[in-house]
Amino acid sequence: MNVIFTVIFLASLVVMAFVAPSELLSSLLGGAERSAKTALTLFCIYAVWMGISRVAETSGLSKKAAKALAPLSKKLFRTDEPAAVENLAMNLSCNLLGIGGAATPYAVKAIGELEKTGNDFAQKLLFVINATSIQIIPSTVIALRAGAGSANPADIFLPSLICTALSTLLAAGLFIAFESFKGKKRRKLWR
Amino acid sequence: MALIIPAVFIAVFAFALFKRVKIYDEFSAGVGDAVKFTFSILPCLAAIFMMCELFEASGLSDWFTKLLSPAAAALGIPPELTKLILIKPFSGSGSLAYLTDIINGYGADSYIGRCACVCFGSSETVFYISAVYFAGLKNKKLAMPVILVLLSTLVTTVLACLLCRVI
Repeated sequence: MNVIFTVIFLASLVVMAFVAPSELLSSLLGGAERSAKTALTLFCIYAVWMGISRVAETSGLSKKAAKALAPLSKKLFRTDEPAAVENLAMNLSCNLLGIGGAATPYAVKAIGELEKTGNDFAQKLLFVINATSIQIIPSTVIALRAGAGSANPADIFLPSLICTALSTLLAAGLFIAFESFKGKKRRKLWR
Repeated sequence: MALIIPAVFIAVFAFALFKRVKIYDEFSAGVGDAVKFTFSILPCLAAIFMMCELFEASGLSDWFTKLLSPAAAALGIPPELTKLILIKPFSGSGSLAYLTDIINGYGADSYIGRCACVCFGSSETVFYISAVYFAGLKNKKLAMPVILVLLSTLVTTVLACLLCRVI
């Protein structure tokens, strides 16, 4: 990100200096102002979802969810470490609710737990699932559309669901196929 | 579909009540986390928004978009979305800035607006995630997973542009 930021910023600065030097400062201030407004919108979204997820956490509901998910995660992630599974479950449920920001801390914790047992496969699979997005309710997008006066903010629900499911299935499928292919090859070499 | 959100909230509150959790205290503590989280991303958000604004104002972005539009058009992606799709893998806040622009510029219910929303909602900040998740670990070979993710994201972007014409 550092390289991209510097290259784009510098290139834009140089062009601006030739094209419209007087508008440089006002553009920067405008950008900062928009960032503050966006942060406020984001805060509203996070406040709602992080509030509720905290209640779910202290009531033990998320632990229950983790237990329910344990057999699945054993198969999928090839792990049954309780600490890792709870973090995996929280990460996945935050993602499903469309609060990717709240999901990140759980993913980092889960990866740390998985590192203890050297579960490289689960770490990478978790990354693939997170990086292809698995939200059921795209809450950020719906909130933005509602703010912009959409007639039916939630009508992108279906296409979003199809796309997000497909991208995750495709990437995770390819990854698992690739990993098991690699595993087979290695076993053959050993023989 | 509209019932999912109320159902989630009622279920969580009912369970918490059953477990005698101090709901008000916990909910506010959660909002407190949201305050911290929002402030933690604000610096990056501000820097990137300034960069986007400059990129836009200097006319560089139009030039860049024109350069890549033929390739995007061949895949059925509207040229208005090129920038959004390019920045998304790197930065959530940057792509959010472009998404907000697109929604305000073309209207939330326009084809471009809806398409942008679906593309935004069904993809993730791949490079950002890979950096954050594996920050503490060395020697992780991530090239293959990253390529797989980018490939699937491209496929779904094309699909999203198709679906938005129909649904």
